[in-house]
Amino acid sequence: MSTKVVIKQSTYFDSVSLMSLSTKANQIEGVEQAVVAMGTEMNKEVLRNVGLITPELEEAKTSDLMIVVKAATDELCESAFVAIEELFKKKSAPAGSSEIKYATIDSAAKSIPEANLAVISVNGAYAAREARKALENDLHVMLFSDNVSIEDEIALKQFAHEKGLLLMGPDCGTAILGNVALCFGNAVRKGSIGIVGASGTGSQEVSVRIHDFGGGITQLIGTGGRDLSEQVGGIMMLDGMKALDEDDATKVIVLISKPPATSVEKKVLAQIKQCKKPVVVYFIGGTEESVVAAGGHFAKTSKEAALKAVVLAGADESTINKRALNIPLVEEVRAKLTPEQKYIRGLFCGGTLCDEAMYIAMEKFDNVYSNIQKNADYQLKDLHVSQEHTFLDLGDDDFTNGKPHPMIDPSTRIVRFLQEAKDPSVGVIVMDFILGFGSHEDPVGVMLPAIIEAKQWAEKEGRHLEILGYVLGTDLDNPKMEDQVNKLMDAGVTIASSSTNAGLLSREFVVKGA
Amino acid sequence: MIQAISGELGMIERLQRSEFSGYVHSVFDKTINVMCLENGELYTLACHRVDNAPNTLVIDVNSFGELGINMNDSVQVAHNRINIGSKLVIAMDHAKLWESIVPSYPTDVELLKKNVAKMNRHMDMHGTRGGMKKPLPSHRMFEEAVSSMLLERSEMLLTALLRHEMSTAFDMAVRLVGLGPGLTPSGDDFLVGLFTIFNMPNSPCSEWTDFSARVVQEAQGLTNEISYMAMKKASLGRVRESILGLLHALIAGSQEELLLALDRVLNIGSSSGTDIATGLVRGLEINIHRGGKICLPKLSSNKARILIPYR
Repeated sequence: MSTKVVIKQSTYFDSVSLMSLSTKANQIEGVEQAVVAMGTEMNKEVLRNVGLITPELEEAKTSDLMIVVKAATDELCESAFVAIEELFKKKSAPAGSSEIKYATIDSAAKSIPEANLAVISVNGAYAAREARKALENDLHVMLFSDNVSIEDEIALKQFAHEKGLLLMGPDCGTAILGNVALCFGNAVRKGSIGIVGASGTGSQEVSVRIHDFGGGITQLIGTGGRDLSEQVGGIMMLDGMKALDEDDATKVIVLISKPPATSVEKKVLAQIKQCKKPVVVYFIGGTEESVVAAGGHFAKTSKEAALKAVVLAGADESTINKRALNIPLVEEVRAKLTPEQKYIRGLFCGGTLCDEAMYIAMEKFDNVYSNIQKNADYQLKDLHVSQEHTFLDLGDDDFTNGKPHPMIDPSTRIVRFLQEAKDPSVGVIVMDFILGFGSHEDPVGVMLPAIIEAKQWAEKEGRHLEILGYVLGTDLDNPKMEDQVNKLMDAGVTIASSSTNAGLLSREFVVKGA
Repeated sequence: MIQAISGELGMIERLQRSEFSGYVHSVFDKTINVMCLENGELYTLACHRVDNAPNTLVIDVNSFGELGINMNDSVQVAHNRINIGSKLVIAMDHAKLWESIVPSYPTDVELLKKNVAKMNRHMDMHGTRGGMKKPLPSHRMFEEAVSSMLLERSEMLLTALLRHEMSTAFDMAVRLVGLGPGLTPSGDDFLVGLFTIFNMPNSPCSEWTDFSARVVQEAQGLTNEISYMAMKKASLGRVRESILGLLHALIAGSQEELLLALDRVLNIGSSSGTDIATGLVRGLEINIHRGGKICLPKLSSNKARILIPYR
């Protein structure tokens, strides 16, 4: 075993950075212990107690930062320190020091005349003004900001439509344009399928399934969640469809949304009839007849949407691994659960993933509660207390007020997870782990200690705790999908291969006892 | 030139008198600390995202990360302007005054008892682990050992105080100083919360303000200057605005107001907010325990004076 020590004299990092450095240092491959702490007498006493003190550390002063790494070999120690130094450099570098910053959209547009897109993420109070400026400068707009009034949204979208520009948003979190993911998105293959999505994680899920089935994406255009409402009238979805229909590289179009307002659905279906290209429609919880009547291809699940799109784009269906449901696994899990363990608890970072799993459960159960249930009778009375089958969209405003979105910081889910794990009526806890641009760099790692602890509790109580995990990502994403999946499996978590399968498996696991 | 938005009364008065020259002690994204050569105290310049606090001037910048300010840059004050080298000039003409005044301990403690129970429940659910709140089991021996020592010493401190075993209490308090992860070690943050409660007028524990002053005297050199300054000010009843807001909410706030104020404190630093809140809640529990056993003169209602226009 080797221990290496570095003391950074008179070095101050804020607490959040120090804790984050310490957590990351402990996750470096080969590191057994890593400590990043101020050189106070009391902290040195703790180092003595745990056998990590060295003569050098004894000399550290209260304003010094102590870094201690213990690893199996000198080489591992050395390489861990190189990684830690890199982390320090990142923390020390002023934000955006290598980028040119522009104070206004006008000056940016003037300085970069070839730019054709503005991504706007400012306080909602100023977002509409900035979006209008961008449109006036002939820029397409991705409007990440929320809290934009519906009146402003309508006005902006009409203005964009008149100018032949896209206004994606407000509250648009996902887009892939020219193979570049913006805000939250995954690394997917370039291909011939175009997506217009009114739901962020739903669009991410369909894009990664397309990638998994061997297909690829031309463009993923986000619309913002309100686009298909009666008031907005689907302006962006209609313009997005039109843009993809005119795009030579796009062979198939996929539409993703929660069920639109009736009048908007009519407009969308009418446009499907006009499209030169096949259109797959995945309106979560929607019905088949009207889509088929309009000449579209109906998909009941995100997985089916991706599969249909890939086949329509020319793939040979017989060569695709469709990730069929593992029926023997269902039987195996059912046998482990007691009759009392009859409820599903879904803890989701992705809203659409929660929606999909919830709709799948509702096909067999009536008592499905959620913070995003449309039926008021099944909306949770107390968000902090689950009822029977409960599905929580933890990224909804109910849970994120003043806190980061769980896709950015999944640790906000830990407390609720431990609460559910203690409930003896729980048969399965299902969770998503979202990889990709914008998401947390190790969503599984954040949850692992809690998962291990919960499994230990259940074992002590003599019950089986079934945890079902779904990792949304591709083999091109960072962190590596395979590593994330392996970490979960090592902790005894069952892995679902898609959002759809996560919904189906969680439902089927508890069918017997329900 | 950047405008100051608000600042603590004592700091503004010192700056006004131009009794201030010093150097940049430390630079963070949201704050910079300046060492004052006249009195050896640290003063903080904070961006507008930060709340008012002792020895702090809040200025109209979003971040210090890109201003090019470095440690040891000279700081001079003249004609109501703060000059940091040639990199930043801050005008104080329109800064509003803020003063930290700890609210009085209530005569009727029923609501306080209920709110303390709610606060404990909320912290159980939403507090940050790693300091006073035990971390989840892991292989990280240092963190586990720190947490055990924090819990053991804080409990021994509180028990000793209640038994009037002041020598043991003093020893335990000093052994909390500098203990724990983070820039402001968790033990220091806990003491900040506890000392704040001792400074509540009418508090059954107000006799212990001398105790906190002695601990702070001993603490110099046991922790870094930034954390020491926060403890020193707390021992005098001077703490940041969000902590005062939480105390007001605990004494007289609705559940919604309490949770909003508590979340603001929990969001301080990494585990610092949870550690401070733990100190506050343990201090209040001692007060509730001791309440009624001693007789104290009643003081008039003592609300914080906040944001007086300043010219």
